[in-house]
Amino acid sequence: MSLGYGAGVGDEDSLDLADKSGPFSTAGFFRSRRGSDRKTVTFGDSSAVRSAPLWSLFSLIAMLLLWWVTTTAWGMPEPWASMDVSDSERITLCNKDDACGRDAYTQLASPLTFPSIRDTWNAFGTLFDEGFANDTLWAHTAASLWRVIRGMFWGIVFGVPIGFAMGLSSRARGFFDTPVELLRPIPPLALLPLFILIFGIGDGTAMRLLIFASIWIMIIAARSGVQTANLSKVRAAYSLGASKWQVLRRVLLPNALPELFTGIRVALGVSWGTLVAAELVGAREGLGAMIFAARPFFRLDVVVAGIIVIAILGVVMDLLLRFLESRLIPWRGKG
Amino acid sequence: MKQLSVQGVEMVYEVPRGEPVHALSNVTFDLEAGRLLTLLGPSGCGKTTLLNILAGFLAPTGGSVTLGGDPITGPGQERGMVFQQGALFEWLTVEKNIAFGPAMNKADKDETSARVQELLEVVGLRGFGDKMVYELSGGMQQRVALARCLANDPDVILMDEPLGALDALTREKMQSLILDLWRETGKTIILVTHSVEEALYLGDQLFVMAPRPGRVERTYELPFAAKAADVDAREMKASPEFIEKREEILSLIWEMEEEIMGRGEVA
Repeated sequence: MSLGYGAGVGDEDSLDLADKSGPFSTAGFFRSRRGSDRKTVTFGDSSAVRSAPLWSLFSLIAMLLLWWVTTTAWGMPEPWASMDVSDSERITLCNKDDACGRDAYTQLASPLTFPSIRDTWNAFGTLFDEGFANDTLWAHTAASLWRVIRGMFWGIVFGVPIGFAMGLSSRARGFFDTPVELLRPIPPLALLPLFILIFGIGDGTAMRLLIFASIWIMIIAARSGVQTANLSKVRAAYSLGASKWQVLRRVLLPNALPELFTGIRVALGVSWGTLVAAELVGAREGLGAMIFAARPFFRLDVVVAGIIVIAILGVVMDLLLRFLESRLIPWRGKG
Repeated sequence: MKQLSVQGVEMVYEVPRGEPVHALSNVTFDLEAGRLLTLLGPSGCGKTTLLNILAGFLAPTGGSVTLGGDPITGPGQERGMVFQQGALFEWLTVEKNIAFGPAMNKADKDETSARVQELLEVVGLRGFGDKMVYELSGGMQQRVALARCLANDPDVILMDEPLGALDALTREKMQSLILDLWRETGKTIILVTHSVEEALYLGDQLFVMAPRPGRVERTYELPFAAKAADVDAREMKASPEFIEKREEILSLIWEMEEEIMGRGEVA
């Protein structure tokens, strides 16, 4: 009797559970993981696709693991011992055929083709403390950043007024269309040899190349920023007594800010990519110069450390610009 | 207050490889100061073109337009404009939007801010001055547009389908607001609309316009706007005289539409 009663209760419980989780159990499961909406169509609905941080973390770990396996774990245990060999020794070691051969054989990527995680980590320590190619990592980074900032600055200073003129006057449009359309598709690096011949090797050449990299992007951004101005806004401003100058300063400029910001983000990406290559031959300090100086000495740890700094800085600058954008242009996309 | 005078206005658009489009043909009327004129008609009848000519955004190909004797050659702050939507400056707060006109004239800051507060009150947006315009609903945005226009104290207010993008309920409320403003300020208002009911209810004068060529087909003097202060809006719109006028104008517009369709078939 008591047992039967108990079983009955149990049955009711399980019935309840079945009711709650019956046809909606899987939906409820996904809902709790995907947010509060109950959309049944998500494949093709961009608002239903979010970034999954867990997967980003997973891919980062996978990349590090791949690095570790190819440079360190492959052919254990010998590589562990070779880790502590100094660079000069490694080069001498490699001159002896057997040592070099063993190294290459036991590791998928030997220290001579790709540095291990530990080597790279150690390289960071050395780069911060002693530096490489006459400067510390800080100084190289600062030199690169400063160069990019100056290049972008002049790119904006020259590009935005030209773009505005093209958006505001048929004559300016006609006049600038030819050079802009002809010069824009040229990859900046294709001009590097020419720039070096004209301006010589040095800081100024790299900066001029960066101006060339960013100016076309800024011109196009400013032009389209002016062109996307709603005619009603412009007419309203004139009806409220604004002069041409006031329309430019109070309506067209703020209206173009979102486009200009997009331009700056794109131009920064291109400049950053152009910069390192430009520094390889055109400068004595900077991340690109550092990488290039490390190559002849087989300091691949320094090369990879430099590459990592470039990658991280690229991401940080983009995040910074996005943050600035959300602060400075809160009206973006709400016009 | 100044009288608006439109004499024999013509507007012909040249079309490449095609017959010129006669957007306006011999439009002539005088509008006394302080009247509320509504322009109604099927699409293509040139009502927005006429409004743009009055605002000074377009120069007519013939005829003359004067306000208080002065010819209209370009936009000016004695003629304020309210657009359907998208004409507010979304990078400015509600207050700064309203203060835009006075700021362009370098008006006294304290005076302007007092005026802005007053206007916020008038259009029913007290306490919303610090909001960004994109935080407001469509109806509230049009209230800001009205206030911004009034801040310059224009002689004539031109409205291009100002309530066209609003939902039905908000629209009725805004109609009352426009009538209240008209009564209180005594401004001359010209309002373009697609809605027969709106044209009848708001206008103390109504032009029904016809297309090809765009022209004023018929003019009405209307009693409803003047009575709006004493009679409830729904009651007015449900009254027999209102309905009679509404059906009359609707059938007139339908005739025009059918004529256009008929011509279309022949062509």
